[in-house]
Amino acid sequence: MSNAIGIIFANSGSDNLQGLALERPIAAVPFGGRYRILDFALSSMVNSGIRTIGLVTPHQYRPLLDHLGAGKDWFLERKDGGLFILPGVMHALTGNKHTFCIKDLENNLEYLQKDFVENVLISSGDQIFNINFRDTLEEHKDKHADVTLIYKDNNNSDNDPNSEIFLELDEDRRVSNIQDKNGVEGNDLSPSQFVNILLIRRELLLEIIKKYSSFGCIDLMTIIAVNRGVLKVFGSPTSSLISTIRTIKDYYDRSMDLLNLNVREQLWLGVDRTHTKIVDNPPTKYTSKAKVQNSLIASGCTIAGEVINSIVFRGVILEQGCRIQNSIIMPKCHIYANAQTNFTILDKSVRVHGENVLKGSESHPLVILKKTVI
Amino acid sequence: MKRQECIAMLLAGGQGSRLGGLTKNRAKPAVSFCGKYRIIDFTLSNCTNSNINTVGVLIQYKPFLLNSYIGLGSAWDLDNPFGGVHILPPFLGETEGSWYNGTANAVYQNYEFIDYYDPEYVIILSGDHVYKMDYTDMLRFHKEKKSEITLATIQVPWEEASRFGILTIDTDARITKFTEKPAEPDSNLASMGVYIFNGSTLKQALIADKGDYLSQNDFGKNIIPHQLKQKKRVYAYKFNGYWRDVGTIESYYQANMESLRDGHFLNIFDPKFRIFSNEDIFPPHFVGETAKIENSLICNGCIVHGNIINSILAPGVYVGEGVEIKDSIVLPYVKVHKGSKIYRTILGENAEIMSHCIIGAEGNISPAQEGIAVIEDYHQVPEGTVIDAGMNVYRSR
Repeated sequence: MSNAIGIIFANSGSDNLQGLALERPIAAVPFGGRYRILDFALSSMVNSGIRTIGLVTPHQYRPLLDHLGAGKDWFLERKDGGLFILPGVMHALTGNKHTFCIKDLENNLEYLQKDFVENVLISSGDQIFNINFRDTLEEHKDKHADVTLIYKDNNNSDNDPNSEIFLELDEDRRVSNIQDKNGVEGNDLSPSQFVNILLIRRELLLEIIKKYSSFGCIDLMTIIAVNRGVLKVFGSPTSSLISTIRTIKDYYDRSMDLLNLNVREQLWLGVDRTHTKIVDNPPTKYTSKAKVQNSLIASGCTIAGEVINSIVFRGVILEQGCRIQNSIIMPKCHIYANAQTNFTILDKSVRVHGENVLKGSESHPLVILKKTVI
Repeated sequence: MKRQECIAMLLAGGQGSRLGGLTKNRAKPAVSFCGKYRIIDFTLSNCTNSNINTVGVLIQYKPFLLNSYIGLGSAWDLDNPFGGVHILPPFLGETEGSWYNGTANAVYQNYEFIDYYDPEYVIILSGDHVYKMDYTDMLRFHKEKKSEITLATIQVPWEEASRFGILTIDTDARITKFTEKPAEPDSNLASMGVYIFNGSTLKQALIADKGDYLSQNDFGKNIIPHQLKQKKRVYAYKFNGYWRDVGTIESYYQANMESLRDGHFLNIFDPKFRIFSNEDIFPPHFVGETAKIENSLICNGCIVHGNIINSILAPGVYVGEGVEIKDSIVLPYVKVHKGSKIYRTILGENAEIMSHCIIGAEGNISPAQEGIAVIEDYHQVPEGTVIDAGMNVYRSR
């Protein structure tokens, strides 16, 4: 049994997702044919043996709760532990810059106080990854660490533009400096980029909350950075694929990456599964006119048209003669005969009537809002 | 509060030997059907959709995979504090106990279970039929007719009538005659193997049957004819939907293939009467650049690089480049490697077909089981093997 409970900050919003995050937090944006972005953080924790997980929710939490229910599909419907909803305080703010706001934790102090475990694993809810944290938990214990920050070593090629915090480490991987990207000249940045996942002693976290709650909106990482001299802060490296979704370009590119076998192997084809809400759709039906190439297709679809380099979510109907290229079609969309889409993202339940042609570009994919009828 | 109005006894212990390689390793109700389902999903979902929350599942033959699939029944919303799914294996008592000897004997041996819930009605179901049916309609009919035993019936084509238990009814739908597999049927109304009994009638009937040493302890063969002789009120409820017995390779194959036709009666896509199942979690299926899929059902977790025509791929199937799968049923986790050709074949779960094999043939070439080839679960077919149409291939042990 793992000696940690989890907290996922599922309350970060974004104004750069062009309507996909208009009425939902990033964590609840559908991704990869049958998942929501949150599923990746949640499944990684569950697969690491964590069975008590608190979810910091945003103002618009209906889509999150709709997806999660009592947490049964993640094995979190339990007597001992389970899924806890922690209402965040940043109710009105969608452009919240803080990742781990202390106020959000203070508001839910009870969740941290009533458990007996040693450690708390904290993750943001807007990243795509499949990481087993068991090794990190072991290491944290062996080193008697106060805080363990998970980081990824960057070769310049796959530098994630969204990451803001970089770590300087000594030979023992103890963190000697925590850099904020904005405060450092480009070349001096450490290659070790913090991936917004950390492990902290529960008692220490409670102390921090008590001491800093009067500061209002202050980020846990800021506090750790300031106190790194008195705390035992270690880094734990991960080589797993991990990507943050903040802009529509991130969303489109990371989705299309899934058509690459290497990416799917790292995310889905290993031992640890990514769990999601199960809806028991029937298998997807292909008619004799269907033509599908290099695409991911979820269950419950009826496919009579042409699909190339695309991702099709659950319960989509593609009529004969329609042509879907380089597009992402979310659940329950209906594309009528002879309609076409290219470089387009259709949010849920969009209907595109016959002969319409929707065309975006690779750098600026076209986004059609939920339930739009065209 | 444990008394229930109606509980179900689900007969799931049969060997299903006529399904050959498909039931070598598992009980028939646990055999995969129509891609993502297993045969028992239909009956369990019918119970849920009919508000029957207490289901006793009678098991005997190779029960492990079936038991672990059913679990607590939560996949069908059948886990609830007042009732739920109960797995009922054969057991020993202080002085007696034995294997289940016939369907009626299985229920007889579990009478303590029925008494515990003390139901007014007991519905007897079979775990090897594929159909969607709301049992509440049948129960309403049973009450309206003040019936003691009601049989669900369906009209079958005349030429097939001699394969079924055939009923003759009067104008009030009361059954006057019941013949198991008659050579010359005088009706085409067949019993579906679904019975509603009044609780007290069932108990008397089972005790009487237990005392009869000539009886084969079977509901269709013994209990129903005997109760008719006793002039009990036995009625026939007519069911108009889709119903298939999938007890043979041929009928299993046909019922699967029917689901590929448009306007299919079973309509698994109907959101108002959903069929639930206990599936493994998989990512969406991936269709590669060299793939071509026509008129087929494809499940989650498949990776397809070859041609799939008029076929069903269950979850987690891998199909390599240059493979052709036509008119076939591919069960969960099967791997078919580069260049193999599969025609009119059922590939058992976890079977692996190495490259450049040819299995089966197009059309009804072989007289054996309509030319349908069957490969047993977990069998590995070596590279370049040619297997004729209509063959049953078993694992060597």
